[in-house]
Amino acid sequence: MSTAVMGTVARLGVRSVFGRRRGVLLFVLPLVLVGLAILVRAMVGQDVDLASGTLYGLGLAVLVPLVALIATTGVLAPEIDDGSIAYLLAKPVSRHAIVVAKLLVAVGCVLAFAAVPMLVAGLVLVTDEPGVGVAYAVGSLAGGAAYCALFALLSVMTRHAVVIGLIYLLVWEGLLGGLLDGVRWLSVTRWSAVIIEQVNDTIEISADLSPAYAVVATALAVVLGTWFTGWRLRGFNLTGDE
Amino acid sequence: MSSPSDALPPHAQPSGVIHDIGYRPYSGPRLGDGAVAWSLFVTGLRNCYGLGRSGRSKILPMILIGLMILPALILVGVLVQARQVLGLDSHIVAYSVYPLTTQLLISVFVAAQAPALISRDLRFGTITLYLARPASRTTYVLVRMASLTVATFLLIAAPLLVMYVGGLLADLPPGRETERFLQALVGALLLAACLAGLAALVSAMTTRRGLAVAAVIVVLLVSFTVVSSIQGVSLETGNDTTGEVAGLFSPYTLTQGVQVLLFDSPRATPTPPEGGTMTLIYLAATALTILGSLGAMLRRYRQVA
Amino acid sequence: MATIQLDHVSRWYKNVVAVNDVTMTIGPGVTGLLGPNGAGKSTLISLMSGFLAPSTGSVTLDGEPLWRNEEVYRRIGLVPEREALFEYLTGRQFVLANAELHGLPDAGAAAQTAIALIEMTDAQDRTISTYSKGMRQRIKMASSLVHDPSVLLLDEPFNGMDPRQRIHLMELLRRMGGEGRTVLFSSHILEEVEQVARQIEVVVAGRHAASGDFGAIRRLMTDRPNRFVLRTGDDRVLAAALLGDPSVRGARLRAEGGIEVEATDFGRFSEVLPRLARDHQVRLFEVTPTDESLESVFSYLVST
Repeated sequence: MSTAVMGTVARLGVRSVFGRRRGVLLFVLPLVLVGLAILVRAMVGQDVDLASGTLYGLGLAVLVPLVALIATTGVLAPEIDDGSIAYLLAKPVSRHAIVVAKLLVAVGCVLAFAAVPMLVAGLVLVTDEPGVGVAYAVGSLAGGAAYCALFALLSVMTRHAVVIGLIYLLVWEGLLGGLLDGVRWLSVTRWSAVIIEQVNDTIEISADLSPAYAVVATALAVVLGTWFTGWRLRGFNLTGDE
Repeated sequence: MSSPSDALPPHAQPSGVIHDIGYRPYSGPRLGDGAVAWSLFVTGLRNCYGLGRSGRSKILPMILIGLMILPALILVGVLVQARQVLGLDSHIVAYSVYPLTTQLLISVFVAAQAPALISRDLRFGTITLYLARPASRTTYVLVRMASLTVATFLLIAAPLLVMYVGGLLADLPPGRETERFLQALVGALLLAACLAGLAALVSAMTTRRGLAVAAVIVVLLVSFTVVSSIQGVSLETGNDTTGEVAGLFSPYTLTQGVQVLLFDSPRATPTPPEGGTMTLIYLAATALTILGSLGAMLRRYRQVA
Repeated sequence: MATIQLDHVSRWYKNVVAVNDVTMTIGPGVTGLLGPNGAGKSTLISLMSGFLAPSTGSVTLDGEPLWRNEEVYRRIGLVPEREALFEYLTGRQFVLANAELHGLPDAGAAAQTAIALIEMTDAQDRTISTYSKGMRQRIKMASSLVHDPSVLLLDEPFNGMDPRQRIHLMELLRRMGGEGRTVLFSSHILEEVEQVARQIEVVVAGRHAASGDFGAIRRLMTDRPNRFVLRTGDDRVLAAALLGDPSVRGARLRAEGGIEVEATDFGRFSEVLPRLARDHQVRLFEVTPTDESLESVFSYLVST
């Protein structure tokens, strides 16, 4: 019974993401990545270092978090904002099940619009070494799942989840991550980079973290983010327009 | 009401009278459409800087203006103080390059204010109040874009003004400085128009402000990142033309290229455009960006109730 | 038997008290929650539907607390006030999704029954974004009825309904109440509450002002004289006789016939009136209480 319920929630979630205009962004971003990959390959030929740089700079650091943000907020924020989440919550369904179902939709989007395009881009850039594309795809999925869980928690805690998530990405992961090295302990992108290095030894991103830490940290982010989101939904306040 | 209704005396007829309670319709002179458009323009411009809105909305624009001017002040200070020592002949950062360096601040400003001007009206339905007034749909769209353009232009031009004044104080040749300053202002205007057009178009697509802010930032940032990576790669491989064409796809590199072509400004991108054909292409692309986003906005607003 | 019990419930947020020490019992049948705007009706319904926690006190359904209790939703159907729905679904898909979320064994049939109950079978395949306000309210009702709940909570359900839809909804609520369900609906429009619910709970500025049958409440307000209109065979004689009795404060002869009487002691007056009429041989054609309406009760309560 629980899986059927989660299926309903998931189906509603899919419609929610693609029924609104924000779904368009999900299609555009991976196209930009793959387009760039084709262009670089045409100009430069196969260069593992350049490929890694592109896949990291535009893919892992930009595409993955943005897809996660758009997908996760698309599945949660509009319903919370206009109150229609009451229809999901006024049911004898465990809140954690609802969160997991919605996150599955979001992670599915990450898979389709981030991980797979990363694989394709990697194959386009360095066709001789498919391992590169595969490694980046795996890292993208892991990092994307962590981002989804964290952004889900953000969505149930505040109405300004999109803007705050964006500020976090720009300032913490982007600006400070480039300047300060200590940020890497708490940066999802860095953890994914370490995972990528583990999957494929030929890639070097100088992430300077122990692989065990990165894997555990990513897993913790996913689990704790999901659990706390469900916990917050249990005590969800819904009042009328007054 | 369940009190029994009173029966009227048979000879009374139902009648009514409207009492004069002091309401007077306005029959005096009315200002024309131009005045309506002007006041809408001024309101939009003031709203971009938080004037006429809540206190919280003033914080971000003020911080951004401060952050834009601060480096200019520092550079001018260094120029004035250490001109002899460092043997400086002109500004450390050229006028036309400054907006490129501070583009993140400019992008944040446009991303934050465009939705405030555009998405809010769509979301709360107040757009119908505007359209029910003498000003037409077209006027509304044009005026909103104009407000956003001028607001962004002021943000970009303020530090340039600081640099100009500082340069004069530092005894740089006035004629040359004035020429460069004015050229940079032209570039700033083009940049502001492109940014405003794109941001307004993206904001008009959604009624949710948070999403509009994020989408504008994504578009501006991603376009610049992609363009600069392509330009970097094409420089290394010697495919300069590819880099020059790529420069068309981000407003910052586009206006930078226009300034390089028209005014021979200092080159600040890996593959700046050169030559007559490129001049035409760049100018056409600028016109297309500005007019195209205007046209798309007009079409979008035609669908609004 | 589904009974909602609120016990010394208060709810505040920062320094605004939305609900102030309210104790009430909502039992089977139709109960109207009445109060002016901002009185706390929506807050009370949110408390009773498990979407708000009381700052103090307890809210229970048959003894079970409602906060953080998902299983209780098997027995509760909620029709929220806010208009937002899943716009991109059709009416049928929306009710069906609600049925599936309840884990009903035959969700499709349950959905169809609910849709037929609110008479939306013809429009069920159109997307909700094309529905009028009244149709949205009805589809919300269908979603709340699909699992046959024993408790039905409706927040301002008559908002935006045209007269025909209103009559239909009132009939539906009466039927639900007649089946033994506990139906609670909130409104600030007296006529609506008067026609559907005999049992009312009045909330004013967060406080529980009165509860019960509104005729009974009226009689409890002994500090305000009861007003009656009498149609008799001889108005003047009876009026003079009534004024002689201490339970009558005033009697006025109406221009169109009849006597308006203000009685301070209802009990004594109801005994005195027939006796006086018989003693003076005046025939009583009609005795009508003129302020036992909900409106007068309400205005008395709100004005204090």
